[in-house]
Amino acid sequence: MKKIIAMLLALAMAFGLVACGGAEAPAATEAPAADAPAAEAPAAADFKVGAVYINSKNDTAGYTFAHHNGITTAMKELGLDPATQLVIVDEVPEDKEQVLSAIDTLVGEGANIIFGISFGYIDAMEEAAAEYTDVIFSHGTGYKSNETNFNNYFGRAYQARYLAGIAAGMKSLEMGNNNIGYVAAYGTEYAETASGINGFALGVQAVNPNATVFVKNLGAWADEVNESAFAVELIDSFGCGVISQHCDSAQPQIAAENAGVFGCGYNSDMTPDAPKAHLTAAIWNWNVYYRTAMEAAMNCGTADKFVETMGTPAYYGGLAEGFVDVSPLSENCAAGTAEAIEAVKALIISGEWDVFSGTKLEIAADGTVTKVDAPLVDNAGNEIVAAGGASVEDGVITGTMNYFVAGVQEA
Amino acid sequence: MGFHIVKRDNCPLWKKCCLYLGAVVLALLLGAVLLISLGVDPIAYYTRMFTMGTVGNKIAYKVWINYLKELVPLALVSVALSLAFKMRFWNIGGEGQFILGAISAAFVAFKAGGVLPNGVTLLLMCLAAMITAGLYGLFVAALKVKFGTNETLMTLMLNYVALYILVFLGEAKADWNFFLDAESARPVFASFAKIVSFPGIPMGGKFTLNICVILTVLIGILVYVYLRFTKHGYEISVVGDSAGTAHYAGMKVNRIVLRTVFLSAALIGLAAAFKVGTAGILSTAITDDVGWTGIIVAWLSQLNTAVIFAVSALICVLHYGSTVAAATFAQVDSSFANMLQGVILFLVLAADFYTRFKIVSDKKGGN
Amino acid sequence: MAQQYAIELKGITKTFGSVVANNGINLNVKPGEILALLGENGSGKTTLMNMLSGIYKPDSGSIYVDGKEVSITSPEDSKRLGIGMVHQHFKLVDVFSAADNIWMGREKTGLLLKKDRYAEIEEMARKFGFEIDPRKKVYNMAVSEKQTLEIIKVLYYGAKIIILDEPTAVLTVQEIQKLFGVLRRMKEEGHSIIIITHKLNEVMEISDRVAILRKGEYITTVNTSETNEQELTEWMVGRKVDLNIPRVFMEKTRPLLEVRDVTIRSDEGAVAIDGVNFYIRGGEILGVAGIAGCGQKELCEAIAGLRPIEKGQMIHKGENIVGLSPKTILEKGISMSFIPEDRLGMGLAPSLSITDNMILKKYSDCKGPFVDRKTGRKDAEDVIRELEVVTPSADTPVRRLSGGNVQKVLLGREIKADPNVIITAYPVRGLDINSSYAIYNILNKQKESGVGILFVGEDLDVMMALCDKIMVLCHGKIMGVVHAHKTTKEELGLMMTGALDLIYKYEDKPAGIAKDTRFGEQEEEA
Repeated sequence: MKKIIAMLLALAMAFGLVACGGAEAPAATEAPAADAPAAEAPAAADFKVGAVYINSKNDTAGYTFAHHNGITTAMKELGLDPATQLVIVDEVPEDKEQVLSAIDTLVGEGANIIFGISFGYIDAMEEAAAEYTDVIFSHGTGYKSNETNFNNYFGRAYQARYLAGIAAGMKSLEMGNNNIGYVAAYGTEYAETASGINGFALGVQAVNPNATVFVKNLGAWADEVNESAFAVELIDSFGCGVISQHCDSAQPQIAAENAGVFGCGYNSDMTPDAPKAHLTAAIWNWNVYYRTAMEAAMNCGTADKFVETMGTPAYYGGLAEGFVDVSPLSENCAAGTAEAIEAVKALIISGEWDVFSGTKLEIAADGTVTKVDAPLVDNAGNEIVAAGGASVEDGVITGTMNYFVAGVQEA
Repeated sequence: MGFHIVKRDNCPLWKKCCLYLGAVVLALLLGAVLLISLGVDPIAYYTRMFTMGTVGNKIAYKVWINYLKELVPLALVSVALSLAFKMRFWNIGGEGQFILGAISAAFVAFKAGGVLPNGVTLLLMCLAAMITAGLYGLFVAALKVKFGTNETLMTLMLNYVALYILVFLGEAKADWNFFLDAESARPVFASFAKIVSFPGIPMGGKFTLNICVILTVLIGILVYVYLRFTKHGYEISVVGDSAGTAHYAGMKVNRIVLRTVFLSAALIGLAAAFKVGTAGILSTAITDDVGWTGIIVAWLSQLNTAVIFAVSALICVLHYGSTVAAATFAQVDSSFANMLQGVILFLVLAADFYTRFKIVSDKKGGN
Repeated sequence: MAQQYAIELKGITKTFGSVVANNGINLNVKPGEILALLGENGSGKTTLMNMLSGIYKPDSGSIYVDGKEVSITSPEDSKRLGIGMVHQHFKLVDVFSAADNIWMGREKTGLLLKKDRYAEIEEMARKFGFEIDPRKKVYNMAVSEKQTLEIIKVLYYGAKIIILDEPTAVLTVQEIQKLFGVLRRMKEEGHSIIIITHKLNEVMEISDRVAILRKGEYITTVNTSETNEQELTEWMVGRKVDLNIPRVFMEKTRPLLEVRDVTIRSDEGAVAIDGVNFYIRGGEILGVAGIAGCGQKELCEAIAGLRPIEKGQMIHKGENIVGLSPKTILEKGISMSFIPEDRLGMGLAPSLSITDNMILKKYSDCKGPFVDRKTGRKDAEDVIRELEVVTPSADTPVRRLSGGNVQKVLLGREIKADPNVIITAYPVRGLDINSSYAIYNILNKQKESGVGILFVGEDLDVMMALCDKIMVLCHGKIMGVVHAHKTTKEELGLMMTGALDLIYKYEDKPAGIAKDTRFGEQEEEA
């Protein structure tokens, strides 16, 4: 566990630098003096962070853990003490009354900024933001916001997925097996899962155009028993050689290891869980956002300037900000994977190219990348983006991408 | 050396109080040991817990509003359950009845809200919730009366039926499903808080007393009178005490069972209407476990309506207070708070056992 | 030691909470004798014996078997020491055969049920002079068969000391004689027998010595041949008691309640009462005798309107009451009090106060939604005063009262309703002698005031003294109605087992037959 934290810290440091240079990143040093008197800005010692969690803050893995880790890491980076300056109400179900009650508690404790990490908190966050105008509200995975003290944040996980897809595609070529499995919490019901699957599939196809991604839908965000069972089914019945996943536990990777095939994890580097199978994982560096948001909150003067300081009511970081990434490639990866991923990453970070566009990448076995104009088509044959067209909008990816691209098949 | 258990005839009130108090103190001491081992100052923790974080809180009035929001459904559900329990009908289907009541109330809110005057809508919400929940309970009672089925099992299983209906409504994105927010691409329950909700009465300052609180207290008094002084109440105690005797006295036992279970479930439905009517939205966690906690409250109160209010008030302090306390101590999460509540309840139930029985060690056996 | 006792108890004390069930009891049994343990209900007889059979442990005192001090901490210990107990409520598995019920308690049975167990047990039973079908299932057995099985079981385990807890309570006169024969034979074979009872005539008949307990205290032990019933009663009750039940002779009125050709089914759907005819007149007590479960309960319930009648008529003051609701029947003045074995199951709500129990049958009479407890309280106070109910107050839950007081409350309420017919079943069940006599007096007073009483009883001696006529039921059929003062216990016993059927033999009627036996025929002639 410590290893992961240390690694995330290192990554955070590294991308923190990148973030500073990023186009959308707020210039932390510019904001404060501009419109608010310095005295009104909460001094670092008085600054309090509040958070509403869906699971226990003492979790050691999973979604809540990833956010908690991000928040505490960011606080330490900013010189804040999580032991005294962080108040958390955890295990709050997606029930408006209970979320509002939790928020009241946090406001009562004097929190300056309150993060809500679960999608279902959306209405409560909106209402609370309207009531407590002197507190900043920031909602993860949501889509609501206002122009003053309420924003939302999410990330371009599909970009990291695309990179992981390249590693999976490379491995499938090496194995000579075109079947790739994907254990997903949900399928097309949620844009979050659909976009992740699509990003991964496009990454696979950039390397191996003949590959098919078979998706098994869990119907739940966490279900350890079926996470394992579905992976086994994908390996045994569909002959999959690489197993990717969009679920909390490392069960699919462990199943891949047991079956002697390979896999791409999610959320954290799962190489320690499945050392012989794991290639790389699409990961979130939540601390990147939390640091950005806390800096903005400390420097924006009054709460109603928060959204203005952030520059956008919907933070949507990607590889460029270091918000998402792939974990270090394991030794299991095929030759040329590292070079290919580096090359594509550079293309995305520079803003030259994005995943859901009318241009597809063709990656040769040696890792050279070629851009080719081609329409983006869903697996029913409908054209989503015409050849040469720009990437679909963020709102589509977070909201209405309720289809699979060609090459994805529901298993 | 052995021991045996002997029934106590009559435990004086002061002794009972001492036993209960002792149980709470013992639980807190146990909790304190755990807290110290986690590196938390138990006195600071307990102070926060019992003051529910109101001390030094700039929005302390919110604490009371939220506290009452938690108290109303719990007290009302416990009172409702006590009706059935008094008759020895083990209705553990409070959760399911609550959920169906909540869905019906929301249904009325969506369909009538904004169309009819608010007062009428609220009244209809209450009625719909009461009838639906009541019928859900009546169904089990009818099966028991007709076929002698076990109501404990039936009500328990129907809890899950109701829960999955609610989960289905919360996940089925479709044109017909007006329970969901049409704007959200992801399925999420729609709010009707802006259309219709139970009004609060300003009490000076920012504190407003929701009308549901007053109604709940009123219903509590009515149920007390109903059980204590009316013919129906008398029938309930006789049927509960001995169905054979009730039958012998010429009571229509089946009718009494059906009527009482309906009433019990209907009041649970009313609690759900209050909850939904204040929250203005459904959720899969809408019950907040009142169907379960209510059983404990009713039991601890020995089905005494006045005591039910006191016990639910205390349990809400415990519940709300531990959440607040857990928020400020990094080492303590809600699971710990729940565990501490569990320990307190367990020991209080143990104390309850000691009020009814005592343990005597064998002085000299045959050896 | 001059006398070697088979079993000796010294200073045995046992308390249950604040109740002292046994206080320093001394008791001894010689080999080959029958000791009667005499005492009223609640005097601690069963508790004492349960300590011998390992169910309870004494708080203090010692137990000696064959002169050696022993410790009995479990039924196994007791079994090993050769003590066997036949409980009042049989401890048998209904679905098992006779042999299996014995077999399952053996210490080294191994895993397999062997075929030869039937033969072995039959052989053993014959050795002791019993006849039993080892393959017969317990649920098919009559009460006396079950008791025999219990005795065989105890003997099979090699018991030298046999304790029987109220063995005669469930038996007919003839069966009692058979049992006593068995006991005498066992005594001759050197077994020691302790028989718990409160029936004086049985004590006089069977026992060699009598030990008397009263309210947990040991009183004395005497040789049976040197005492008499009156003396025993005084020891048992603690003072002089008049054992005679006065029978009042009243001017009989017309029949108040006539039951004509009534057939009733039990809960299981079997015919419980089969074409029964009889009547009750004002100012008389009609006793109903019969082995337990031969239709008494169903008959009482049917008269009170609690059980549907398959066919037949019940005429109350010239009006058919079949099909009326229990409430209406009650309003007509027919009151029913049934004391079941657990005493509180029917008629009273045990957790409710005396006041609340007083209003049980008339709570709905007053207007409005509220219960009128004022009259209930007044009634309760009246009953407490008139029938001398011992209770802290009228608000005391009935379950806290002693058995006699519970029954007084129940009868008191029935009388308060001013009935003209009282159906009462087992009103003295479980009561001590004093309480029983109090109840008899209450019934006699009602009779004097012209009420017709149907008295379902257990003790034939009592019924012969108290009732005017006795109707005998056997398997739901009436065997005959006889004048109580003219019949004999033997005759009643024969009728109860169905051996004597006066209904179809009234031509050559034996002494004591009452006219009612021909009731059905008279109707037809008329």
